[in-house]
Amino acid sequence: MSPRNDTASQQFTLNCRMAQEPAALERLCRVVRVRGFRISKMAMEATGDVLDIALTLEGSRPVAMLKAQLEKLQTVAGVELVGTTMARSRTA
Amino acid sequence: MNGAQHILEAFHRHQIDTVFGYPGGCIMPLYDALVDDVGVEHVLCRHEQACALAADGYARASGRLGVCIATSGPGATNLITGVANAYMDSTPLLVITGQVPSGLIGTDAFQETDILGMTLGIVKHSYLVTDADALPGILEDAIELAQSGRPGPVWIDIPKDILLADVHLEAPALAEVTAPERPDIGPALAMLKAAKRPLLYSGGGVSLAQAEGAFRAFAEASGLPGVVTLKGIGNAGRNNPNDLGMLGMHGSRAANKAVDECDLLLVVGARLDDRATGKLDGFAPNARLIHIDADAAEINKLRPADLALRGDLNAILDAFTAALEAEPLAIDGWQSQCRTWHTTGGFRAADNEESLAPITGPAFIRQLSGIAGDDTVIACDVGQHQMWVAQYYRFAHPRHHLTSGGLGTMGFGLPAAIGAQFSDRSRTVINVTGDGSFMMNAQELATIRRYNLPLKLIILDNQCLGMVRQQQELFYDNRESQIDLDDNPDFVAMARAFNIPALRIDRTDQMRRGIETILAYNGPMLLHVAISREENVWPIVKAGGSNKDMIDEPRKTQHRKEQVA
Repeated sequence: MSPRNDTASQQFTLNCRMAQEPAALERLCRVVRVRGFRISKMAMEATGDVLDIALTLEGSRPVAMLKAQLEKLQTVAGVELVGTTMARSRTA
Repeated sequence: MNGAQHILEAFHRHQIDTVFGYPGGCIMPLYDALVDDVGVEHVLCRHEQACALAADGYARASGRLGVCIATSGPGATNLITGVANAYMDSTPLLVITGQVPSGLIGTDAFQETDILGMTLGIVKHSYLVTDADALPGILEDAIELAQSGRPGPVWIDIPKDILLADVHLEAPALAEVTAPERPDIGPALAMLKAAKRPLLYSGGGVSLAQAEGAFRAFAEASGLPGVVTLKGIGNAGRNNPNDLGMLGMHGSRAANKAVDECDLLLVVGARLDDRATGKLDGFAPNARLIHIDADAAEINKLRPADLALRGDLNAILDAFTAALEAEPLAIDGWQSQCRTWHTTGGFRAADNEESLAPITGPAFIRQLSGIAGDDTVIACDVGQHQMWVAQYYRFAHPRHHLTSGGLGTMGFGLPAAIGAQFSDRSRTVINVTGDGSFMMNAQELATIRRYNLPLKLIILDNQCLGMVRQQQELFYDNRESQIDLDDNPDFVAMARAFNIPALRIDRTDQMRRGIETILAYNGPMLLHVAISREENVWPIVKAGGSNKDMIDEPRKTQHRKEQVA
């Protein structure tokens, strides 16, 4: 699947802060899906025009790549990796 | 002023004088405002896809922002392929669509589509305008965003009631241009100086950054042997002795060999696309990699960089040039090795000496390259002819070569040529296409005629989908499937039906006269070139394979062709 597909799938949590706009969450989820990750848990809170989203994700591609792609979204103010919570083996 | 008038006002503020569009229900307020406008030329194409591709061609040829306009529903969905094309090749594009009135959104109204949702994956950013007073600010942001950093398409979807609403706020003052980022080149320079076999790998990012001059100065000061991606063709100009040409799937043996042997790869404005690198495991196996790019997300995406410089290519390359002019690299042996490879492993399809011999794609493109002037723009479509242009046409500048690199959009060439011609009416613009691609946007012959554009069309007609046929021959056990186009229309008669003169050639001795005739004609003209159905593009790397495993033309095929000749 991926050109750099490691066999180990990791679970980790990203905290994203982004501006509220009509397609905010869709943009975020689309990038996660297309770049090869699966959302296992998601929490969102809107404060005025700011959205804070905690995403727990699974995937075997490098998380730095996903972080860079999320940061590229124009409405994303910041993405923080708050911890790799689990690692388990998975055959490709 | 209503919303529609604000859009035109934004065009004026940003010197946008040409837009490509197609009217319809929900965008009609903007077309109504255009009636009273004298500063913007609206080009009516005959399909919205062509509007987007023409805006893309306009932007590629000129370095300015391309603008396309369509109505809601099918108008907007027809734009999608063109906008995806611009996204994949980072073309600065402003896309404006009408949407059903705000109150009807979500009711499955006539010509309603969720175009915002459908296009999230093919835009740099997009807006659905929900407040009329926000429109002036959104227009400013969108125009700036499309052209800044790594450029791309920005889409504004505007409900009809907002186009008609009085807008009370004025556009915000133009933002001050911030100084480009200038990362420290020290460590990269040290790595470059320490390398014994350094190689320059450049792509479309050079012209996107408008860094063509800085790149050439750097290439000259460094003396680095260089390879280019499809979109980087022309970066080094026509006469750089260290330019090895295109690498990758249909690259030269010399270019792929140099990548294989180098010990340092200096990647400038390129994203290490799979068509260029082949299988990553075998790509530049002995090299450390320095990646210079405007987009942070491209660094480490496919191949980890040993060192990365993110920022403005002009500033970075200028700093390298200054340092290397003071203290040049000592790479004479490596340069000479690369030149030898270029001599023995460059693109070398043989010309037919026999005047009655059938025309081959490579021979035709080589002759076209020799006859057309240095300033000519070539807009290609997608397929074998596209690769022959990449291999055999010698480009003086990357903006002279308009090609659909990332998306590989058949039907790109004709509208892109129209866009390029609108960016400079006095320029020679040639659409080199194939019989498959031509039929994907052939309706645009009407646009050429309507605006009396002097552009030239060349159809390399092999009566089939040649690139697919070639891969079926080589990789699918010669099982041909759905590639026959031997019932093509009479292209000469077709052009004439649009009042565009045309002529047909099929022999080697007719090539020069055919090319000279269309170039000399004062107006649009089409040249229909019949070529062999069996011709392949060589060399080729199997998709997913390593560039080391290039396949050359088998000797028996060469021999058969010599006999035919």
